[in-house]
Amino acid sequence: MTTVDRIPAQSHGVIALSASACTSCMICVRECPAWCIELESHDEEVTEPGARRPRTVSVLDVFTIDYGLCMYCGICVDVCPFDALAWQPDFDYASGSATGLVQGINELESWGKVRE
Amino acid sequence: MEIGKEVFVTSQAPGNTLGPVTATLPSTRTYQVAADPSLRVQILDLGLACCALEVGSAIATGLLVETGLLAPANENASPAAGTTILLISGTVTDALAPAVLRAWEQLPEPKAAVSFGACANTGGPYWDAPTVTKGIDQLVPINIYVPGCPPRPEALIAGLVKVRDEIVVR
Repeated sequence: MTTVDRIPAQSHGVIALSASACTSCMICVRECPAWCIELESHDEEVTEPGARRPRTVSVLDVFTIDYGLCMYCGICVDVCPFDALAWQPDFDYASGSATGLVQGINELESWGKVRE
Repeated sequence: MEIGKEVFVTSQAPGNTLGPVTATLPSTRTYQVAADPSLRVQILDLGLACCALEVGSAIATGLLVETGLLAPANENASPAAGTTILLISGTVTDALAPAVLRAWEQLPEPKAAVSFGACANTGGPYWDAPTVTKGIDQLVPINIYVPGCPPRPEALIAGLVKVRDEIVVR
């Protein structure tokens, strides 16, 4: 569609997540002025070959952005120390219900993959 | 409903010293669905805050027509036929909420409502403000919620397409 082609790649359409880069540090959740991010994680012990002792890593269970609340300020993108959040130009995610605007890990990741 | 004239007056909010708030309904824009010319869509946008600029941008730049989804309505067709879409964009304060409700109630059937932007959807950045309605869906049945703060004009088009699809199916 011509309209979509005209949108710059860096435009602020939606915030996409790269779950593998996320360390569940909660900085985005705490900095969000609209409190629209929900994050839940649990710790797991990982033993790497040759390591002296097991390493504890956080595993992401839930990461949702409520785009009904999100004010598109981009603070979460700016504060993320691991670049797990990024702006993507997609805009076509209107919903028939307010709760339908809450997007989980799968949807947030799919936006990032489209442009990679 | 008399469009373009002062048609509704809100109730007085407690502590309001400014007198009754009056508002003027903007003129409607009538389109027909390009794929089905018998289906007419009147868009009545109720711009309450900054989101209205994005709505204006979508309409002024001709995006609605350019995308081939809607076409300017045939002048000869009866204006009574077709669905009226109320596009609610912007921050709905509790003082203005009765006016929005009145606008919705005055619309002729069949009608649909679109909530445009975070403020209209849920209260958005004003989720903690005592004077802002936390989502216009508390008052008006919303067919489609368009996310964004503000949503792009293209997002409005995408939302209207979803409403149109809903109407076609119905």
